[in-house]
Order: sequence, then C-alpha cells, then structure tokens
Amino acid sequence: MTNKAIAQDTLAKISKAGFAHAATRIVSEEFHELQAENGAINLMRTNFETDVAITGIKDQKKASLSVNKTDPETLDSTVDTLSDMARGASPDEAYGIAEHQPSETFDAGPSEPDYDRMYDRIVEVQDYAKNQYPDLHFGSVAITFGNRRSVYVNSNDVLFESRRGVYQVSTMFTSKKGKKTSSMNYFGYSAYDLDTPIREMMNADELMRQSTEQTETQNIPGKFNGDMIITPNALGSFVGFLTGKIGDGALISGTSVYKDKLGEAVTSDKLTLRSCPVDADVCSGYWVTGDGYKAENSTILEDGVLNSYLLGLYGANKTGLPRAVNAGGCYQVDGGDLALADMISGVEQGILIARFSGGNPNDRGDFSGIAKNSYYIKDGKIQFPIKETTVSGNMVSLLKSVKAVSRERVNFGSSIFPWVLTEGVTAS
Amino acid sequence: MQIAEIDLSRYSNQYSSYTELRLHENRLLNISLLNGDIVSNMQDTNGGVSARVFDQGAWGFSSNPNATNDAIEATIQAATRNAEFLAKRGGDPDVHLPSSKASANSDSNTRKPRKSQDEIIAFLKSIDEYVGEHCPDIVARQVILNCLDMEKKLQTSDGSAGHNTNSRAIIAVKLTTRNEAGDPIELSQAIGDRGQFEDVFESPERIHNAVDELYKHLMNKKTAVKPVSGYHDVILASDLAGILAHEAIGHTTEADIVREGSIAGDYLGERVASDLVTLIDFANSHNGEVLPMPIYMDDEGVESLDAVLIENGILKSFMHNKDSAQHFGMPLTGNARAFSYTDEPLIRMRNTAILPGKDKLEDMIASIDDGYLLMRPTNGQADTTSEFMFGVQMGYEIKNGKLGHAITDTTISGVAFDMLKEVTMLSDEMEWGCAGMCGKKQPMPVGMGGPAVKTKVYIGGE
Repeated sequence: MTNKAIAQDTLAKISKAGFAHAATRIVSEEFHELQAENGAINLMRTNFETDVAITGIKDQKKASLSVNKTDPETLDSTVDTLSDMARGASPDEAYGIAEHQPSETFDAGPSEPDYDRMYDRIVEVQDYAKNQYPDLHFGSVAITFGNRRSVYVNSNDVLFESRRGVYQVSTMFTSKKGKKTSSMNYFGYSAYDLDTPIREMMNADELMRQSTEQTETQNIPGKFNGDMIITPNALGSFVGFLTGKIGDGALISGTSVYKDKLGEAVTSDKLTLRSCPVDADVCSGYWVTGDGYKAENSTILEDGVLNSYLLGLYGANKTGLPRAVNAGGCYQVDGGDLALADMISGVEQGILIARFSGGNPNDRGDFSGIAKNSYYIKDGKIQFPIKETTVSGNMVSLLKSVKAVSRERVNFGSSIFPWVLTEGVTAS
Repeated sequence: MQIAEIDLSRYSNQYSSYTELRLHENRLLNISLLNGDIVSNMQDTNGGVSARVFDQGAWGFSSNPNATNDAIEATIQAATRNAEFLAKRGGDPDVHLPSSKASANSDSNTRKPRKSQDEIIAFLKSIDEYVGEHCPDIVARQVILNCLDMEKKLQTSDGSAGHNTNSRAIIAVKLTTRNEAGDPIELSQAIGDRGQFEDVFESPERIHNAVDELYKHLMNKKTAVKPVSGYHDVILASDLAGILAHEAIGHTTEADIVREGSIAGDYLGERVASDLVTLIDFANSHNGEVLPMPIYMDDEGVESLDAVLIENGILKSFMHNKDSAQHFGMPLTGNARAFSYTDEPLIRMRNTAILPGKDKLEDMIASIDDGYLLMRPTNGQADTTSEFMFGVQMGYEIKNGKLGHAITDTTISGVAFDMLKEVTMLSDEMEWGCAGMCGKKQPMPVGMGGPAVKTKVYIGGE
C-alpha cells in the first residue's frame, strides 16, 4: 500500500471509531549522512524513517498519537488507544481541524543524494581551512540529505501530498594556539544542491577567519551602555523572543507582552519581518501547517507594525483572534539601505555580537547573557575580539531601538537575515 | 514492536567486522494543561533496529523502523556497505577498537497495574485544581506531564548482550503572577524521578508541597530587586550545582569534546579546582542508592563505570567511548549512549555530581556579608573554554549573613576552571535532579546533582 492509501485507510478507521473529526499525517524519509570528526570522514549513515501522526476529536475531546509503523495491526491498536485517550480528555469547543481545501501536490529538490559530491565538499572545506587557517580545528563537518515524502488527510476531505529533497550542511569548530582556545563556533545551512563550495556559502569564510583571531581575546575597557550590531548568525536569538510571544501558548495564557498589540507599532520602523515557508529561496520550508492548512508567506512586522500573530487553529479559536496563514519559522528580515561597513563606522562604542549565549528572557523580555565570538567597536572601528563580556537589556526595548538594518543579508536556507544595529545595550 | 521476543544472537553470523546491533524503542506520553484546558494529550512510540559497523577507522550506520527478520538483515548489510565505502576512500587499517564484553539487564517497568489515560488526566486535573485553590494570586498556570521509557536490546560482535529499560516521569508546574507595575512574573519547577508514572506519583502530596513552595517564592519575587551586576560571593543551591557539574565541567571532560579542542585537554593531572571539589559522573548508583539515570552497560556493549573527573581539585580523567579510549589510550568508561534507534552512540553523561562537603547551609549563608543565594536555573550553556552561562529564575540577596529580598531573573557566568578554584564551602547535603535533558547533537535524559556550593560568579544585569 502507498502512504496515501494507508493514511486514507487509517482516517476511515478513526472515523469508524466514532470520532467526528479526524486527521492523519504520514511522513517517510530516506536520510543519508556523511560526517567528519577531527579531520577524518568517519561516519556514513543511511536511515529509513516513518512517522504516522493521528488526531481525533470526539464529543469535542481531542487526542493525538504518533507511531513509526504502518502495518495494519499497529494502526488498529493505535486507533483503539486514541479512543482511550480521548475518553479521559476534557471537552473544549476550540478544538477543530482544517476545513475543506482543494487537494494539492508539492515537490522540490533532488530525490537522491550525491555521495561523491558530499564527500568531496567535506574534504574540500577541511583542506581549505587547513591551508588558510592552520589554527582552526573542525570538531565536525556533516552533510546530510533527506528525501521526505508527506501525505496529510482529514475528515473534511483535505488531501495534501508533498516531497522535498534537501541537503543540510553543519559544522562546528574552534581554534587553538598553544594553550589559548577560541570559543567554539558553528555555521550551517540547507540547500537543494552542493554546487557551491561550503566556504563560499553564507559568511562561512569570515566566521572561520574570525575564529582564528579569537584565540587572543581581551576584556572590554569597562562597563558601558552603547550600540550593538547583531550579526545574521545571532539575530535569531533576538527575533525569537518576539515570535515566541505571539504564538498560541503566550496569547492563550494572556502573559504575552504583545497581547492586544495587533496593528500597533511594537518595534522600530526599520524592521520588517516575514515568515516565508513557501518562498523559493527557502529550502527548509513547508507547504502544509501542522493543523492541515496550505501554508502561505506572511508579513509579521511591517515597518515595525505587528501585522499578524502566529496563532494556529486552536489558538485562534481560543482567543477569537485571526489564525495565521502559516505556522511560523522560515523568517526573513528585510534588508535596509546601509552598507555593513558604514554601519560599523557609525558606531562610537559598541559590541558586534556574533553569538548570544544567554538565559531564556523572562516574560517581560529582560535578558542577559554572554557575547560569544564577538568584537568590541570603538570610534567606528572593530578593535578586538572580546572575552567574558555580558550584554543585558530588554528584548522589547531592544527591538524598538533598532537604528539601522544592513543592505547585506545572509541566506541560511531556512532564514535570511541582515546585520541589525540597535542601541541602549549594557555591556560589562 | 515486542523487543523481548526478538533474538539478536541469530544475526551474529552476518557480522563481517566489529558490529553493534540494537533494537530500540522510545515511548513518550505528554499531557499539558494550560489554565485548566488540555492543550496537549499525546503519545508517541518510536522504535526500530539499527546496526553500526566499524571498518578501518570509519563507521557505517543504518536503521529501519521495522524489526522484521528481513529488515534486520538489510540494516546490517546497509551499515556494512557504508563502512566499506568509507574504508575504501580513506580507511586506516591500523585503527582497532578496544574490545569489551559485558552483559546487563535492567527493567524500570512498574510492577503495579498501569493507570489508564483517564486516571492520569484526572490526577493532573487534581494538581491543576490544587494550584487554583491554593495559589490565588496567579494569572496563568501550566501543569505538564512528560513520561519517557527508553527500551534497548543490544548485541555486539564482541559478545556483549543486554536488554535494558530506563524510565522517568516528570511533572512541571509553571505559575505566573503580575507585580504592581502589571508585569508578568513567572516561576517553574519540575518534580519527578526515575521510574514510570505509577511508581513516581503514588500520591499528589509531593507535588502539593512543591507547589506551595513555588508559590511562596513567586510571591516573594513580585517585589524582587534587580541584582547588582559584577563578581559576587554566591551560594549556588544544589539545582545550580548540578547544572554547573554537567554543563560547565562535564562537557569539557567528554573525550570527544577534548579532541575537538576543549581546554580540559591541557590540564589533565593539574589543579583545576579547590581541593574541596570532587566531581564524578556516576554510572548507576552511589552510596547504595540507584541514581536518576542508571546505566549498567552502554550502547557499545561496555560495562558502565563511574568516571572520576575531578578528585580533590585535580583533573583526573575524561569520559570515553571506544573511539576516544582508543585515541587517548585510556580505559573505557561506558559513556556511549544513543537517544533514538536512528542515532549513533555518543559520549554522554549519566549522573554527574559534585560530592558534598561538611558545611551547614545556614553557616554558608552566615559567612557572606554581601552576596546572593541562587536557587533555580532556567537553562545553561558552556564552551570548550569552560566559560559557562546559566539563567537563574529564583534567588535572594544575602546581606550581613541573612537572606534579603528576592531577586529578578538574571544570568550568571564565569570560567569553570577559574570559578572552581574559588570554592570555599560545600554543604553536607546533596540533592539529585532527574529532569535534565542534555542537547549535545541528540537529546538525552541525564541526572545531575550536588550540594550547595559557595564560590564567586559574575552576575549579569544593567
């Protein structure tokens, strides 16, 4: 049986068990990996993975269950368990499934891995680093290829099928000079092909170069309140606060600082943030949301104004607010009109933060953490890599204080981010 | 998949070089209540077979969700082909793994009748109702249950064999109130232990007590003051000592991290801490007590042994898998574990703790004129340099030897191998935490523990 037939058969079983609303998603993936550790390619992996996720709503009581087997005995037993689970649940009028939409099929990327090219790209980047940056040490370099097929059906006659084949590249490295060790750093991206050498992707070469000079770090001259340039590699830590506070959990509990802010300016007008799961430039996106809707791209912030929350169907029903047209992720921040070099030259005193190692901000947005792989800026020039430097502030204020956004952006395959200049951050 | 019924020894004639064959199933139960509504009611069962084959310095790995005879044979063949592919392109015939033969069987399944989903949900609702009745000044509440069973059956070509199940059940409670300015103030706590739900949560009393304690601290936090940033004398309560042992020190002494450039590689045999400090990654038990994550044989078929990392302040050893033990020429410790059937075993901690000292907590507090008692972490990260950062969601000022105001959320940081040299007191009581989920490439449940520790750390803030 095909996964589509199994999904439809399982859906029928759930409905027959008395569920008024039912949904089934089956994902199967062939996963391939080559991994190098400490300079040698030492792991080749081939995994075959399956996931069957079923949801049922009976008397407005909901249960969800997933297994990774598709044989009839397992699925029969799974549906029985789903009934037991729903019996103990509480009814909630907000539970629902996606309404009817026209069936669609989606497809992107190659179907088979190119192992020779995977192997050669790993060797190439390691050889490059060995020659160009002798102090740099790759703890790991891995390239994976996943060919993922998905089918979603629900009892409102929804059927979506998709397939995507994508490579993921990930690295982790440090530099060492005698007993002096840099902070570890990493980069990674996803791509439909491996046509471009790894060192030429994103800002990979710059990160490797920076690592070698980060064996010699200095303390900042003293505590100061100043500017902070957030690199694309670190921007997710800051944007993530906002996106985390506009989803189901924070809005249903009523604790979000962005509650009742739809249509209002919540950040600097320099920021436009989009969620683009179906953008052609994003190869780690998705076509169907977890609750069974065809995904669309959306603009979450437009010139600082909050255009959309990230509510799923349950959150929307629970709060009475509009459902988002996607499930978030695949974020893009629009580029500005300032060159990065000009951004740096305009900073009197500040930090260029490339990695933020911080505590989870509290609900108010207060944060503090260590600026890793980062630099001290003075009089418009990058001075030196820093050590043991804490940056602190408030996420809400920080996003309101964005002064400029760079023209240049970095495409990670899953997100596209620029450099962002903000102010009012305490460094100590 | 009935792991117990599958005989792995029948496949041993298919091994062409060193091979690990593992049946592995994870069973997860998650139920979440948000303000009384069930926002998650889900179960996940994920399992299958994996094979890992070593050939001339390289590993071939393959996995399949089915554990039929054909699937198991195909998995061994695929892993063997993968290892041969790498061996042909760059193998080193002189690399040989240390041999080890062990046997272990353990079962964490409850002997009590299993509770139905109805009964478990009713239990959680009773906790939620208790919170509603006893915590009047809150604006949001969450009660989240996570139960995990990990069942593994292993056979290696060295002759190791074992069938082990590890379970743990955790209930997390998060409470949110508002201060006078209307800002949300939150605190959370995880309560649980090794074992299945029926054994861990026999009665709700333990959770009621934890909720009462949590609410008391939350009310104190409504009027919290900001800590002063800078280096301070502090007492890290056992929750923080545990995460310090795991994140800041433990990871730097995992031998794969040492190979990647961890600073610990330069200090073996040298003083890295005050002589008060002894830090051990326990395999399964200590002082006759079975620890939160007992491992008797690892996923490479190696007997799990305690790894004494720091003894009286001296860095003594690292944690190893077969690869790293071969590379460093050191003894095996049995630290290799895989989270899922799709994962290869990595060097992972088991139960990592600083051993207690002889001081009383009240004497430790009394010894500080101006500092902080830091009680509960949120998250933590560490670096190959041993620089660490932990979020702290609960703490108090210490003024003139007495506890003062609660403090707002903050982070603490430092360089572990410097900070450990500043340890001047350790309490005589230690506590173990069971809720840790380490995130090194794969997630992994871990135990961590320790006494209260008096030292100096940098406190972040404006």
